[in-house]
Amino acid sequence: MKSSPALTGLQFRLTAAAVFVAVLPHLLRLPSLISVPVLALIALRWLQRRRSTKRLPAWIKLPLVLLFPVLIVFHYGNLFGREPGSALACAMLALKLLETDNRRDARAAICFSAFVLMSALLFDQGMWITVLLCAALVILLAALRALESARTQWLPDLRSGAFALATALPLALCAFVLFPRLASPLWGAPNDTTARTGLGDRMAPGTMQELLIDDSPAFRVVFDTTTPPRDKLYWRGPVLWQFDGSAWTRPEWLASRPGDGDVRVRGDRVSYEVTLEPSERHWLLALDVPLLAPQGAVRGADMSLVSRTHVDDPIRYRMVSAPDYVLEPMLDPLHRRLALQLPTGFDPRARALAQRWHDEFHGDPNRIINAALDMIRGEFTYTLNAPLLGRDSVDDFLFDTRRGFCEHFSSAFTFLMRAAGIPARVVTGYQGGYFNKLGNYWVVRQSDAHAWSEVWLQGLGWVRVDPTAAVSPQRVQAGAHAAAGASAPWYQADWLMAIRNRMDLVNRFWNDAIVQFNALRQQSLLTPFGVDKAEYPQLMLAMLALGSVLLGLFAWWAMRAPKPAGDALDAAYARLCRKLARAGAARDRAEGPLTLAMRVAATWPAQHGLQDLFAQYVGLRYAHALPDPERIQNFTRAVARLRLPVATPAAAQSS
Amino acid sequence: MNTRLAPVASAPDPVLAAALERAQAQVNRVVLGKAAPVRLAFACILAGGHLLIEDLPGVGKTTLAHALAATLDLSFQRIQFTSDMLPSDIIGVSVYERESGAFKFHPGPLFAQLVLADEINRATPKTQSALLEAMAEQQITVDGATHKLPTPFFVVATQNPVELAGTYPLPDSQLDRFMLRIGLDYPDPAAERALLASSDRRELLAQLTPCLSTAQLAHMRSATAAVLASPALIDYVQALLAASRAHAQIRVGLSPRAGLALLAAARAYAFLEGRAYCVPEDVQAVFPGVAAHRLIPSASSSTSRDRLAADLLAKVPVRN
Repeated sequence: MKSSPALTGLQFRLTAAAVFVAVLPHLLRLPSLISVPVLALIALRWLQRRRSTKRLPAWIKLPLVLLFPVLIVFHYGNLFGREPGSALACAMLALKLLETDNRRDARAAICFSAFVLMSALLFDQGMWITVLLCAALVILLAALRALESARTQWLPDLRSGAFALATALPLALCAFVLFPRLASPLWGAPNDTTARTGLGDRMAPGTMQELLIDDSPAFRVVFDTTTPPRDKLYWRGPVLWQFDGSAWTRPEWLASRPGDGDVRVRGDRVSYEVTLEPSERHWLLALDVPLLAPQGAVRGADMSLVSRTHVDDPIRYRMVSAPDYVLEPMLDPLHRRLALQLPTGFDPRARALAQRWHDEFHGDPNRIINAALDMIRGEFTYTLNAPLLGRDSVDDFLFDTRRGFCEHFSSAFTFLMRAAGIPARVVTGYQGGYFNKLGNYWVVRQSDAHAWSEVWLQGLGWVRVDPTAAVSPQRVQAGAHAAAGASAPWYQADWLMAIRNRMDLVNRFWNDAIVQFNALRQQSLLTPFGVDKAEYPQLMLAMLALGSVLLGLFAWWAMRAPKPAGDALDAAYARLCRKLARAGAARDRAEGPLTLAMRVAATWPAQHGLQDLFAQYVGLRYAHALPDPERIQNFTRAVARLRLPVATPAAAQSS
Repeated sequence: MNTRLAPVASAPDPVLAAALERAQAQVNRVVLGKAAPVRLAFACILAGGHLLIEDLPGVGKTTLAHALAATLDLSFQRIQFTSDMLPSDIIGVSVYERESGAFKFHPGPLFAQLVLADEINRATPKTQSALLEAMAEQQITVDGATHKLPTPFFVVATQNPVELAGTYPLPDSQLDRFMLRIGLDYPDPAAERALLASSDRRELLAQLTPCLSTAQLAHMRSATAAVLASPALIDYVQALLAASRAHAQIRVGLSPRAGLALLAAARAYAFLEGRAYCVPEDVQAVFPGVAAHRLIPSASSSTSRDRLAADLLAKVPVRN
């Protein structure tokens, strides 16, 4: 076999750079067990190659080839699947660099880099990763280009790489929009094994702490009607009924009983659109209390919305809610039993206190609630740094630590209510949100996660009681962080928030236009062209048509006859002709400069500079085999300075 | 307007230029109202080419040839072609001389510096070929002996395009021997009135004085060949040639020889304009004369050759 030419120094460096940028998006995600050796391998190979161009012996390469699969199996348990697969790809790419000495290997390494780069999209399809990928692609293309040239500078290659990417963009867009999309993924992309933070259907003291410091957006809301006041912005999530002494959970079977809860709306309805970030759970969020369920979801008897599938991609739905309502005026016996359930053998002190209130106030729920809120208002502190609680978590919190945040308060309050004989439950969700003035929408972040209680009162139905609001009204008015301490964390500084607002706007667009562009939206793409529901053949046809047009345009552009030499002079003369055309004396293409000069002399008899320009041009173009560049520059400048009065119609006609 | 420029080629000698202007003016005094064809005729002579005048009888073809000969101080011969003419009638014949006992060559009328070949299409192809061969070689061979024709040697041929009975129109390939083909056309009314009012042409011709010596003419011809054709101009000429070959209504476009003729004629025209370099306008001025008789229209085309040439000029862009 004919051996491929050896790489020059620059070609190797660009190939190594391509390999490096290809593993770059994976590095943060990979365990250090893999990422550190991969990086070290690339760095060592770079250094080794700088010292000598000798090939590495097989006894170095072979053990490494065996080492990485072992490391991967050691960390992930197997070699297959998204995570171990991409880790293996990164490792093998770094190993490929070890044996890359000639052009053929470099080409293979760059192509494989492109694959590794693409696999980063399996984990994240956000905007920033896409921008990063494009930048990396430029380097890949530059490396590929460098293989075909013997240049010693990398800048021209980089430029041609960027150029190649830019020219591919229209075609990529065409394929993005028109390539037939499957309603369901072709292969089941395995889910992230590490669950994202988000509301769960279980609440134990401390579980929300992670959420409250997570500043990523949970969902965004655009209101069609007037926005309810901020202290009414309770976004309802899972409703938790069962308490086992340590955690509140939702009975699984309740979710499967889609009861149409009895809601009586008082006051105005609010309609809005929610765009939910992927949570990989079933929950959909809606403003308390939702009046309908979005498509593909059911509304449970407790008014929580459950999607039939996991929310793996951003989804959008329209909702109507009633901020003022009477929920379930007649309490279902099953619900009553659930809402009074308490684990036996836990929290004796809290039970005793509730019993005492019950006896003292003769079972009057209003007075019992007030007593509980008074107690919380009096001696409790809102803090995100809650101390750990023991086995009797409610007792510990109520009588000993007295420091906590929403979940502690709602848990303790609900417990007290039940112990005093008032049906109660915990509702989790989000409270408040941030209004982005630029985009006129609300963004609700994970840190807005909240838990509150609902008690059932005769004649009023389920009534929301937020014990956290009792101890820290700020929490409801300003947000968790403001409630927890006087100073906002650094990342909520004003100037930073202004930037973040803009960034959020861009992210929202990205989600809307790119990530959420799915099969359904694609089908409606051709509606303006009279195709109601574009099927695969139509989409394919449209893509092929548009693609060939784009390719044809590009081929035409690329194969255009190159401009003859002396371009600067031609360009300057063309500019002169454009100026003349704008002023009313367009040049005929077949018209020589002297003829044109005579014609414009009739139009602008007073413009002597114009005749001089023509004389200069004719002299440069035709009286010299090789015109003097300096004179061309002078001519160019003179043309730039030329100002022409618009020709009068009579003059233009006479010409 | 060219004073500020420093062209590579030097501008024509002012004395020669003045003499050239005078010569043209003198011819224009005899051939009234035909400045443009006269200029083309001068360009043809400067470029060393032969001229074909195609027009009706009586519009001044012969007068023009006479005036050119007289003005340029060239020896002049007129050959009136007929269908019974033989090659020896024009090139000459070897006759046995009793005194010397040898054959002696008697040169025919072709042995002149300017030959007017009148109604060339009346001659048989055989005779035509003899003439055209002489034009191309500038020499003739009789009985194995080669005889040089005088220098300079110009042929001005005329052809009547209307009266075709009993004629042998020159084949397309032969037309190529003529650098330029011009028409004279009827004079415009003013020129015609002046013509009618003035004295006899023959008298006028007799009064003509030579304006340019043979040496001056030779000098001008070499200066003409040195006129600069810049790469941009060559591009334009080539574009015209290429367009003639790609034109839908033209079966056979311009040959490279036609291109050389075009460039030579354009150089001569530039020289007549007092320029030491060619501009596209020079090419445009000579293009119909050089190209029209060389274009062979396609069978389906009803457009005349002159129209085709004009069409090419209008289509081919001058630079950008």
